Amino acid sequence: MSLAIETRELRYRAGKTFELRDLNLRVPQGAIYGYLGPNGSGKTTTIRLLLGLLRPLSGAITVLGQAIPREAPRALARTGYVPERPHLYPSLTVDESLRYHAAFYPDWDQRWADELVARFGLLRTLPLSRLSKGETGKLLLLQALAQTPELLVLDEPTDGLDPVVRREVLTALLDYVAQRDATVFISSHLVHELERICDWVGIMDRGRLVAEMPMQSFKNGIKRLRVRGAPALLGDTPFVVLARHYVEGQAETWIVRGWQAPMTQYFEGIGAGVQEVIDLDLEEGFVELLSTARTAPRGEG
Amino acid sequence: MFRAILFTQWKWARLPLLLGVLAAFGLPLVVVQPLPALFAEDAGASLAIEFMGSFGPMFPLLATVLGLLLAVSAWAADHAGRHVYALSLPLPRWQLVLYRLGSGLTLLALPLLALWFGALLATSMVDLPEGIRAYPTLLGLRFALAALVAFALFFSISAGTARTAGVVLGTIAGLLLAQWVLALVDSDLNLLGTLVEVLFVWPGPLDIFSGRWMLIDV
Amino acid sequence: MFEQIDPRSAVPLYAQIAARLKVAIASGELRAGAGLPSVRQLAGQLRINPATVVQAYRDLETEGFVEMRQGAGTFVREVTPDRRTRERDREGRRLIRAMLAEARRVGIGAEELRALLLEELAGGAA
Repeated sequence: MSLAIETRELRYRAGKTFELRDLNLRVPQGAIYGYLGPNGSGKTTTIRLLLGLLRPLSGAITVLGQAIPREAPRALARTGYVPERPHLYPSLTVDESLRYHAAFYPDWDQRWADELVARFGLLRTLPLSRLSKGETGKLLLLQALAQTPELLVLDEPTDGLDPVVRREVLTALLDYVAQRDATVFISSHLVHELERICDWVGIMDRGRLVAEMPMQSFKNGIKRLRVRGAPALLGDTPFVVLARHYVEGQAETWIVRGWQAPMTQYFEGIGAGVQEVIDLDLEEGFVELLSTARTAPRGEG
Repeated sequence: MFRAILFTQWKWARLPLLLGVLAAFGLPLVVVQPLPALFAEDAGASLAIEFMGSFGPMFPLLATVLGLLLAVSAWAADHAGRHVYALSLPLPRWQLVLYRLGSGLTLLALPLLALWFGALLATSMVDLPEGIRAYPTLLGLRFALAALVAFALFFSISAGTARTAGVVLGTIAGLLLAQWVLALVDSDLNLLGTLVEVLFVWPGPLDIFSGRWMLIDV
Repeated sequence: MFEQIDPRSAVPLYAQIAARLKVAIASGELRAGAGLPSVRQLAGQLRINPATVVQAYRDLETEGFVEMRQGAGTFVREVTPDRRTRERDREGRRLIRAMLAEARRVGIGAEELRALLLEELAGGAA
């Protein structure tokens, strides 16, 4: 499997309280990779490290085969970036901003840029400072897409946009991915949005990567079980028990990871029974994973 | 790329820059206006030269303002965006700095030429008496040199991070404070005076700004 | 056609799409020779990963329901009536299993369920 992005033992520190540690990201080429995590978990910092905007304390970063930050310009020429806050020059008009941006990218597709300007309904003569939030979001994505990049790095690209604009932006993004085999690295805390489009997930919490796997394994592996008659102390389990909730007189609720259907047999072995196996969607799985990652001692997961 | 970068700097500086061009062109013309009347009098020549001298400081002042304007406007937008855009563009930082420097110099050429043309025009309009000569090209060169030094100085400060600019401003403030303290304790040590002397008197780096700026001289 | 696609379900999206198309083919909603939406269109319409659509179409092709023609698109193939019946049965069985599972959860027994079912069927006929 060739990787579009790889980091090895990445470390970065900002101030006294925030630290990224032991970050080993592996983003396969052609994946739409959802980078999830609560606010302040280190998503934006990671992205800035990947693009060479920040320098790591230690560790190695490779993006599109280029070592970062040394070879950053070469990787950046093939990467479209949408930052969490608009970064373009607010005094330029839409047209001027497009022309400025185009000058730096050899593979800029002007026809497609024009098409998107029309589709997004952007007024070419308007200065960026007078665009609405939605229009700014659309312009940012437009500029990144018209570069015809191999890799798109999107930092909360739809945050704060209304549902109509969000849909337009996502459709344009998917349209691009359908035409070219681009890799997409997208960070968001809007879990439902990512659930639709991503085939890989990486989950961050407080500067650490808690999980990284294909979306389907993540969703299939995490289950909520209703269990009756299980002993308080468990020996070895074929799955990982993330949490046990016990309510007097009712079945216990277990949250487990690495679940497979035949594992119901395990409960017969300990004289208990599974009443029900409930699927969790990405958001529930994400919340359960984070709450246990926080209460459990370090090293779990 | 250079054209794109030049365009942004033109857009950010164009209004004050056009005023600067007008001022540079007009200053020599204004300066020579009273000359015919002065030359008509006895000892008019020495009066005229004295008059020229009183206008002298206007030239280095204008050169400094122009250098400051172009240097600051070249980086203001990047500072405001914390350089995220500039750093995410696919070119090495030093290359961007060179492009911005080149664009600034290109724009700076406009008022420099304007002053030179203004000086040529102004001196061609006045009949000079015996023993007095005009130096339009020399003044133009001197103005250009002063503007370049000012631009280079401010550019190197503003091209750095906000921290660099802070250090520079902090040093200046520190010097002023130290001088004030020295004055309080009645010390004869003149820090600022010494500094000014070191900087502005040959071979100091800012010598170009001091001395006589004469369009018309003996 | 894809109103019931649910990204939150544990059933993978590509499997949901393939299943929905199979039902459409079995019921005659999609006839032989009909073109399926392009990958780009369907991904945009459902706002899902284009790779997911490709996988659904590939699975349908392997099972012989559709044919992917290079550059032209994906088209429904001739399916024998026999096979269509089998698919319809399979879908019917899936619905019943889902209903039974729900009924068990709520605690409705087999007899009770049978009675209710007959009553509903009679009501539907009336």
